[in-house]
Amino acid sequence: MLPFYMVVGRTMVVGFAALLAFGLFERWPARLPRWFARWALQVLAIVLAVPLGAYLAYWLTTGGHPQLGAVSGRLQGYVELTFAGILFAPWIAVGALVRQRDTFAREQAAAFALERSELERRALDARFRLLQAQVEPHFLFNTLANVQALVEVGAPQAAKVLKSLIAYLRAAVPQLHETVTTLDQELELVRAYLELMHMRMPDRLMFEIRVDPTLLKLQCPPMTLLTLVENAVRHGIDPSEIGGTIEVEVRLTSSRCLASVTDTGVGLKVTGRGLGTGLASLRERLQLAFGAEAQLALSEVAPHGVRAEVSFPARMTQP
Amino acid sequence: MTAQRPTALIAEDEPLLRESLEQQLTLVWPELAVVTRARNGREAIEQFDAHHPDVCFLDVHMPGVTGIEAARHIGHRAHLVFVTAYDQYAVQAFAQGVLDYLVKPVDATRLAQTAARLQERLRTARSAVNTEVLLQQLAATLERQTASAPLRWIRASVGQNVTLIPVQDVDFLCAEEKYTMVAWHEAGGTLREAVIRTPLKELSAQLDATQFAQVHRSVIVNLNSIARVVRGSNETADVHLKGRTEVLPVSRSYLHLFRQM
Repeated sequence: MLPFYMVVGRTMVVGFAALLAFGLFERWPARLPRWFARWALQVLAIVLAVPLGAYLAYWLTTGGHPQLGAVSGRLQGYVELTFAGILFAPWIAVGALVRQRDTFAREQAAAFALERSELERRALDARFRLLQAQVEPHFLFNTLANVQALVEVGAPQAAKVLKSLIAYLRAAVPQLHETVTTLDQELELVRAYLELMHMRMPDRLMFEIRVDPTLLKLQCPPMTLLTLVENAVRHGIDPSEIGGTIEVEVRLTSSRCLASVTDTGVGLKVTGRGLGTGLASLRERLQLAFGAEAQLALSEVAPHGVRAEVSFPARMTQP
Repeated sequence: MTAQRPTALIAEDEPLLRESLEQQLTLVWPELAVVTRARNGREAIEQFDAHHPDVCFLDVHMPGVTGIEAARHIGHRAHLVFVTAYDQYAVQAFAQGVLDYLVKPVDATRLAQTAARLQERLRTARSAVNTEVLLQQLAATLERQTASAPLRWIRASVGQNVTLIPVQDVDFLCAEEKYTMVAWHEAGGTLREAVIRTPLKELSAQLDATQFAQVHRSVIVNLNSIARVVRGSNETADVHLKGRTEVLPVSRSYLHLFRQM
């Protein structure tokens, strides 16, 4: 009768061989053909490792002379050990793989959830800044000062200006439930804003809006055109003694909506400093809404002025 | 000075507000003669030199030469009243000082008080409160408030066109003799490079220090673009970038930036 420790020892050698195979083929080779799953490789490796491990166990316990065929009972013992090993080891391996996969799936789910919440947070941030950015007190009070001036002298324009201001405020005051507006609404806002600014600087600001009427029902992220127009007024026309013209144009090119705002103002400063909070947050909003599919580009136009172009996928609003 | 009617200049770029202020002044201070008007700081300076009015109403924010710059030209040769839009920074700057100012829309009561103060000063032939020192301080305060924002766009010529590169898309900046090479990625992931005339040293002062780090005498890198930092021998390291093959050197004196990473 074989001593018990000998059986345990041989079994452990087989077990270690299986474990080694499992661990080795978990990492190596780094790349596998698409049709060959790693778990299959690992299980196959274990099936092959067991008889080798069993042979090694005999080799170690017999001082390097297993003599499986010569010593009676040895071959039977080897076959039994190998058989038992092949019977149990792959199942244990499969069990381990399943658990590993569960853990991996859980980790990945957690990572996805984290990423999603991060995106949601950024979207909320952008939205919050959008709401904050609307109706600057500076703009409102200056415009109201003009309205007051008109009312004081009893000018008939007062009513028209108030109408523009109301149109602007109605469109610009936070619309919490709306994340997408139509081009029509956006242009109404732009027109109201430009009319107000024209009243304030009649000798310095001219404007022109050119839009194909068939595009009016296209979707437009809120405040996209307004941000570009405000930027053109603030950084192009307002700093200029002679002022200039602002041209708003919306076109459709191969299923993309291409909107441009061109001014003939002072142009870009040497380093572009100061140009920007509005544009930076517009870029962020476009990125959150369209990913890499939206583009915002600024360029200088001759002899002086800036052209801001934004393009995004054209989508019709649901009727 | 008190023998004749006092004279005034109004400098305001918005015509309606210019006329309105003149109207309001005729009500609260009928003797005051508005002898000249200006649409910007440059005209204000010209008109002041031509007419030498006793009082100048200067809009702070005007195109080209600002009201503040015009005020510094005039100095204490006239009593100055600044007119500012509702803008918390400008209002704060005035509220702390002794200079006269009005906030648009101009309140009639406040204008009457200001007019009374000016009349008193003109009657007693007191010198203007707007001393050179105060005006210089005011200019410095307003300058500080507008200049502290970090750079957002870098202007670069690419071929025939002048493009604005959003600073957050810049991967790294590299000094090349008198020029600076800007490497950035577009929204779609396209990698671009351009050379600009602004020296690296000048740019580094304007960049947001939480986003950009100087890692070498001639290299500034966007921290968000770093894929990994590999330590080299002899107290140096290499910066590898996301989606780019360039490897940037980190010199010994900047290595501390990555010590705890």
